[in-house]
Amino acid sequence: MPKSVSEEVNEQFEKAVDDHYNAIIKGEIKEGIEEGTASGVLVQEPLNAPPPPRPAGAPPVKIHCEDISKTFIQKGNQAVPVIRDITLDVYENEFLVVLGPGQSGKSTLLKIIAGLEIPDKGYVTLDGEPITGPGPDRGIVFQSYMLFAWKNVRDNVELGLKLRGVPAEERHAIADHYIRMVGLEGFEKHYPHQLSGGMKQRVGIARAYANSPKVMLLDEPFGQLDAQTRMYMQVETARIWEKERRTVLFVTNNIDEALFLGDRIVLMEGKLPGTLKTEYAVNLPRPREHTSMELLELREEIISNTELVL
Amino acid sequence: MASSSIANETVDHASERGRFTLYKLITNRYFLYTVSLVGFFALWHWTAVNKIFQNSLATPKEVLDQVIRLTTMNFAGNNLWGHIWGSTQRVLVGFVLASLVATPLGLFMALNKTVNAIVKPLFDLFKPMPPIAWVSLAILWFGIGETSKVFIIIIGTFVPCLLNAYNGVRLVDPDLFDVIRVLGGSRRDEIFNVCLPASFPAIFAGLQISLSAAWTCVLAAELMNSRDGLGFLIKRGMDTHSPALVLSGMLLIAAAAWLSSLAIALLERKCCPWKRSIDNI
Repeated sequence: MPKSVSEEVNEQFEKAVDDHYNAIIKGEIKEGIEEGTASGVLVQEPLNAPPPPRPAGAPPVKIHCEDISKTFIQKGNQAVPVIRDITLDVYENEFLVVLGPGQSGKSTLLKIIAGLEIPDKGYVTLDGEPITGPGPDRGIVFQSYMLFAWKNVRDNVELGLKLRGVPAEERHAIADHYIRMVGLEGFEKHYPHQLSGGMKQRVGIARAYANSPKVMLLDEPFGQLDAQTRMYMQVETARIWEKERRTVLFVTNNIDEALFLGDRIVLMEGKLPGTLKTEYAVNLPRPREHTSMELLELREEIISNTELVL
Repeated sequence: MASSSIANETVDHASERGRFTLYKLITNRYFLYTVSLVGFFALWHWTAVNKIFQNSLATPKEVLDQVIRLTTMNFAGNNLWGHIWGSTQRVLVGFVLASLVATPLGLFMALNKTVNAIVKPLFDLFKPMPPIAWVSLAILWFGIGETSKVFIIIIGTFVPCLLNAYNGVRLVDPDLFDVIRVLGGSRRDEIFNVCLPASFPAIFAGLQISLSAAWTCVLAAELMNSRDGLGFLIKRGMDTHSPALVLSGMLLIAAAAWLSSLAIALLERKCCPWKRSIDNI
């Protein structure tokens, strides 16, 4: 049956729209579509907040993300843009929290900084050196713990040192120091499956610290814990961080966690591709209270700025 | 708060015992085990005494007597231990040779695409072939001596060994490799710290399957032609119409297979201490 004229026009129109979207996804068209173009659809570019001016006397920049974008190709050649145009600085010895709901690309951002993913556009530097792959200068704590089931607590913690050829006696001493720091003394010979979720993540934190990285990257580390343990682990994290200052980039979807821990909170847009929306400075002394007036006020402000309830 | 306050959970075993009742007795696990076993042997005895299979079933008592008699007398130039050792020796030689080749080959296949591409088509060709199908060819090639029997066992044990080692590596969580890379490790570290230990349980599962295949194969080979071994006892029992001897051979081979599988389980406990503690829970 021959196609009617209106059907043909319709098909052409749909094809033009598809092509245009594909071009945007592939990054061939950078700017938003203007009114009156072939597709006739107005797409508003997400307005990235301009990077705030660096406060005077701020510590030096440790991690710098310059305009990074990443698109994943799914099955069937479907392109899913995950993060777009992210420019971000993490200062030395700062506790930076990236806050965003699930599916906002925040874990991908962390993986790019870790060197486990390569960005399609832009670059990341650590101390001014561009990052090309994973390395021991960035310690990572994974959401699903990622402990080695066949190694006991001490062997898990000292693995990084062992891989880098640190002699046994020295690495035992370092491992024991960090095991003590996370409060797991007496559990050195336990295997991961004998530990509770909170204890497993303590091992994960000790393992990352033991490698003495320049920065710590934590990817929703308490996402699998119950609320009670989660709160306790936040207190512990703050305590450990006070004790051993490191530059920390902490990814979470939990607003209270972000407020309790962060020096600065970077809020991500609640949909893909993930972009940075706003940032908040939390200039409050530690140890903080989850229910202090100042935190709750800031909480109100952040919630009013998010479409989705976090 | 002291840090010792983590993991202070304790498990209180409920040890209080209520009154002993009939219901408790008939739902007791050990009571049911006993009922099941006694029932089986009673049925066996009844079937044999009432000649349901004419004269071709011995009573449990006759079988037991036969086993005891075998331990003291020589049978076809060998005492019982000689026959057991004959079969065990073949199983051991075949099983050890096959697993020493198949397990590393399986690991290599999983780790190296080229090795995989060369071995996999051949392996897929031979995999579905039942090992017993090789018996005739083995006799034509190697005669009726030890070589052909060991050959059958190697054929039968090779496949499960290789398959389990291969799958053991391939089913490792790929994110664990990321951890090694993040900690500053190389490809070699990934293999020795992740691939090998992670595939240990699968390798041992493969060894268990191989071992039971080995006992099947040794029996088949000995039934065809042999002058000693447990298969020979069974064959001789059939030829002389002695069901007690056949059943003795069957029981002995089951016992030998069970003991050898126990040995592998002990070896696994030794090699995978993290798994031992899982079992103990």
